Amino acid sequence: MSPAVPLLLSWIAAAGLALVDGRKRAVCWLAVAALAASFVLLCVLAGQTFSGGPRQTVAGGWPPGVGIVLRADALGALFALLSLGVLLAALVHELLTGAQGRLFPALVLFLATGLTGLFLTGDVFNFYVFFELTMLASYVLAAYGGGGRELRAGFVFAVVNLLGSFLFLLGVAAIYHVTGTLEMTAVAERIGGVEPSAVVLIAVFFFVAFAVKLGLFPFHFWLPAVYTSARPGVAAMLSGAVANVGSYGLLRFGAGILPAQLRLGATVLLVLGAASILYGALQAVSRRSVSEVLAYSAIGQAGYVLVALGIGGTVGFTAAVVYSVANSLNKTLLFLTVDLRGWLVGAAFAVGAFSVAGVPPSAGFFGKLALFQAGVEERSVALVALIFVGGALSFLYMFQIYQHDFWRPGEGEKPPAERGRSSSAPLRAVALAVAALVVGLGLWPEPLLAAGREAAEALEPVAR
Amino acid sequence: MNLILALAIGVLFGCGTYLLLKPDLFRIVVGIVLIANAANLALMSSGLGRGQSPIRPLGEGAVSDPLVQAMTITALVIGFAVTALLLCLAYRIYVTSHTVDLDELSHAEARYERELEREEVSV
Repeated sequence: MSPAVPLLLSWIAAAGLALVDGRKRAVCWLAVAALAASFVLLCVLAGQTFSGGPRQTVAGGWPPGVGIVLRADALGALFALLSLGVLLAALVHELLTGAQGRLFPALVLFLATGLTGLFLTGDVFNFYVFFELTMLASYVLAAYGGGGRELRAGFVFAVVNLLGSFLFLLGVAAIYHVTGTLEMTAVAERIGGVEPSAVVLIAVFFFVAFAVKLGLFPFHFWLPAVYTSARPGVAAMLSGAVANVGSYGLLRFGAGILPAQLRLGATVLLVLGAASILYGALQAVSRRSVSEVLAYSAIGQAGYVLVALGIGGTVGFTAAVVYSVANSLNKTLLFLTVDLRGWLVGAAFAVGAFSVAGVPPSAGFFGKLALFQAGVEERSVALVALIFVGGALSFLYMFQIYQHDFWRPGEGEKPPAERGRSSSAPLRAVALAVAALVVGLGLWPEPLLAAGREAAEALEPVAR
Repeated sequence: MNLILALAIGVLFGCGTYLLLKPDLFRIVVGIVLIANAANLALMSSGLGRGQSPIRPLGEGAVSDPLVQAMTITALVIGFAVTALLLCLAYRIYVTSHTVDLDELSHAEARYERELEREEVSV
């Protein structure tokens, strides 16, 4: 199947839904149906990619090398599948809570289109276009229907990330100038023959652009305000789906296109990653509100991905992929359960919390395990110690908020009436489905690990 | 020509950064617009061939690179959409907070955080 099919489906649905009133129930469920259909198509595409190698379509029937390429390999398909799944869960959650606006369903579908396109494109400039589509939708979502606080956070979010996007655009211009092509595979082949000092600058542009997106330590300052002020469903979309752009971009552009520069900057990546882990964890320990803890935890978790990239090699990249998948599922689960109350919700939150801390059986455990493996392979005591300390700290802060939020009686920031009442059954079912997936991947991790390995190997032929 | 373009890009980017650091929402928007245009100009000047415009029928001699022009116009359209969105956001902030001054806005933010902290202590 062509990678264009799921992309076009969500794109057409988004454009159509933008014209109708999204507050009507039928329109909302139409959006869910379109997103689910696109997700199923992506599942089929991912299945084909994992069994039969990359799928490629050249837009407009041009010969390869001339037209714009859409290319689905294991890495892109895995991230697209993950992000669309997260969006689907978060959209259903938001619609069930009843908080919605005229454009909300259309915006989520535009976000899905942007993400699908970004993960499945084989063209550097097209990546920028889908990147901007994703970001525009998420700026609007972050500020959507909010009062002064949401708008302020949304404005800062937009300005900081736009600066990142334009740095990325400068990098694209530079890459076109030095290689004369925009197709990722061709760029990767030709970049070796280019003067190294020019390529280092390009690599720095790309790194800053994706680090801003991922919310790594020195570029994180916009993140807590946005995650705490956005509604839980939107926060789940931002941290579970949009943050994937950062990890995917670092993997694709760092490991896939500029591997020599990645090795050159490995020490910087390790130091920044370690700083992120410690900063995020220590800030999270000192916070009491759940969304704040989760926001700082997101900064810390991004650090692990960076450390895995810094270690490099197939082991390191596999760890980065597996960790990104586990982290995105954890964050989705936690943000979706934040405001819920009732039977089994506490259990679902605990699953997420333990998964962040890396306690088996959960997806997070295998993320941490892959990182440990990479650290041991690297023969670095400091790295293994860092991962262990980071894990211990995350156990501390996750358990703290779990106890603070779910074990305390009646009073709290919310009025008692709201706190004691249990949420509606379908809402809890969505959260429990995500929790079941997290535990399921912990009990039967083979597919996740195999997919991670395949995704990491998909990067190698591009690099060669 | 290269030097002029490089200087123009540098000046645009510098002015954009300067405006971005101003405590006024609309100056920040203008700063982003300038940086966007610095990036567009960089995209335009990254072209590989120089010559007559790439429109049929072609005359004699070299043709300029059409790809950078296609990319730049795409980037311009995206920049336009982004500017519109930022202006909307800034206007909404003005409507809800009655100010476009970042210092006053961050005071409001600090007040909000203090309230949160007070609630926390009383709990």
